[in-house]
Amino acid sequence: MTLRATSVLFGAALLFGGLAAPPGNAQEVSLRVKAVHVMGLAGVKDNTKGTLNIENAQLHFVHGKANSDVSAAYVQDVVTGADSRESVGKTVGMMSMAAPYGGGRFLSLFRTKIDTLTIQYRDSNGGLHGAIFTMPAGAADRIKKDLVAQGAHTAGSGESARTAPTPNKERKQ
Amino acid sequence: MKRILSTSIVLPAVALFFAAHALLAQSRHPATIRAPALQVVMIQSDEIQLPAEFQVALYENLIRQLEKDGFPNVYRDGDRDATRVAGLVVLHSTVRGFKAGSERARQVTTVSGATSIKVHCQFTNQEGRSLLEQDIVAKVRFFGGNLKATYDFAKKAAHVAHENFFSPQHE
Repeated sequence: MTLRATSVLFGAALLFGGLAAPPGNAQEVSLRVKAVHVMGLAGVKDNTKGTLNIENAQLHFVHGKANSDVSAAYVQDVVTGADSRESVGKTVGMMSMAAPYGGGRFLSLFRTKIDTLTIQYRDSNGGLHGAIFTMPAGAADRIKKDLVAQGAHTAGSGESARTAPTPNKERKQ
Repeated sequence: MKRILSTSIVLPAVALFFAAHALLAQSRHPATIRAPALQVVMIQSDEIQLPAEFQVALYENLIRQLEKDGFPNVYRDGDRDATRVAGLVVLHSTVRGFKAGSERARQVTTVSGATSIKVHCQFTNQEGRSLLEQDIVAKVRFFGGNLKATYDFAKKAAHVAHENFFSPQHE
């Protein structure tokens, strides 16, 4: 009887222990963010709503039944709205007095309550493309981190961009 | 009497019309520089730290507008195919200044809060010799976000290209 109770207790402990323990591959699950494609992605109309995520070294933009991919390795620069404000902000003190035509002030393309993600990537001929996305505040930084972790370059990293055989492709699901 | 009166009005009006037409034809000089293809270089900003989204919006809108205006061969920055085109014209654009307006002010007053961007456009040949240089001031005056200023720039720059360069395919 005691043996039975012990085995039941042990089983229960194992079960709850398993449930309480964090899953080992939790970090591998990629972040999906609702985003608006403002412009620039080949084959996608301006102001298209969709979902943005980074998976298998590709940036995926899922919109409707279509899916546009850009290989992270061929992204030569990733900039968030916060990066822009930071880099421009550094110059404000020096430039606002010296620069003509209001050069020291920050010029924002969008309202500040949304986050922006701007990527520059090369196509199969080496042609440079730029794409702009907007998303909820705070999401762009995480997407940028994921993208850089999977091989995207940033202007600050000093790495040279490579050209790709087929970096950007659109497919119907 | 009535006939004389109507003739005296119609004749000067016709003469004025023809004179204006001749003057307009003179000012609208024909495109003089041959450009079989145009390559657009990414927008630069030496004097001003331009946010990346602005830089990309100016570049993408410029390419789109040039294609829309009928340039048969528009190449992007770094496109290897462009190097094989004889007589390629390269468009370099440098942001020289901006005046940050306010979308809210535009919405409220519709007369104040204009945003303007000044871009220096230089068209060169493949060897880097300047063919044409012009400053373009793009504005968003009444309604719309700052993105609209990038459309305005693209439209004006494409107009300058269209006015001064002709494609042999269109001859």
